Amino acid sequence: MITRWSDLDRVFNAIDAMGLLRGRLESGLDEFDQVLKKSGSVTGTTPRTNLFDMGEYFELSAEVPGIGKDDLSVKIQGNYLEITGTRAIEAPAGYTTHRNERSSLNFTRSLTLPADVDSAKVEARLQHGVLVLSLAKAEPAKPQEISIS
Amino acid sequence: MEANKMIQADGGTAETAANMQSVIPLVDIYENNDEILLHVELPGVTKEAITVNIDNGTLVLTGTRTKGSDGIKGWREFGDVRFQRSFSVPQAIDVAQVRAELKDGILHLHLPKSEAAKPRIIEIKSD
Repeated sequence: MITRWSDLDRVFNAIDAMGLLRGRLESGLDEFDQVLKKSGSVTGTTPRTNLFDMGEYFELSAEVPGIGKDDLSVKIQGNYLEITGTRAIEAPAGYTTHRNERSSLNFTRSLTLPADVDSAKVEARLQHGVLVLSLAKAEPAKPQEISIS
Repeated sequence: MEANKMIQADGGTAETAANMQSVIPLVDIYENNDEILLHVELPGVTKEAITVNIDNGTLVLTGTRTKGSDGIKGWREFGDVRFQRSFSVPQAIDVAQVRAELKDGILHLHLPKSEAAKPRIIEIKSD
């Protein structure tokens, strides 16, 4: 983490040297760095996830900004789920970098679901940088209605 | 009476906004001869929920993410947020030509330089 910030500082010094837009676009960003350091609100190395139990299925969502569907994979076995993804951050061709807060990622996150899911009935959608999985519960894990005789 | 209603309505909105966590989105800033390019990370924000305002040399970018879920919470690591960040825009930017596109939760914001600000190659004439 510390090395990352010193890297950023170096970028800053480089910007200083370039000087072109210095003091305009970057004004106030030094201050921002301080805030960012304190709050530690930088996206982690693994995506954050939410899990909701919808009765018949689980809904799992994961924040994966900037990762296309070809760079994501999901593996499921029983109640074990693994999300793998990569993204490379580089300057678009012909552009020079002024500031680089977003980082390249290469992550695997494994999760244990509260119950087994039917891996044949999984739906995955990518919505504006959020991966949403609908995971149908395996038969024994579904809520059962008990009739009172 | 009418004014009273307005105050109430306003109060309601302010309250909702206050309950929402405010987050500073991460950005990458690039530049070439023609434009400055911002990549802003806004996961889960639809294009309708993004506003970009440029006024008096300041660019203010906001995006809100509201995603209700009616299920039973298993765990929740991220929720509704309001992304907000402002930048000072150099005068050399042609504000009328600014354009943006959204892809996989990343906002690509193109800030074209005005003609006068672009680097020029000066031709040297021989005599």
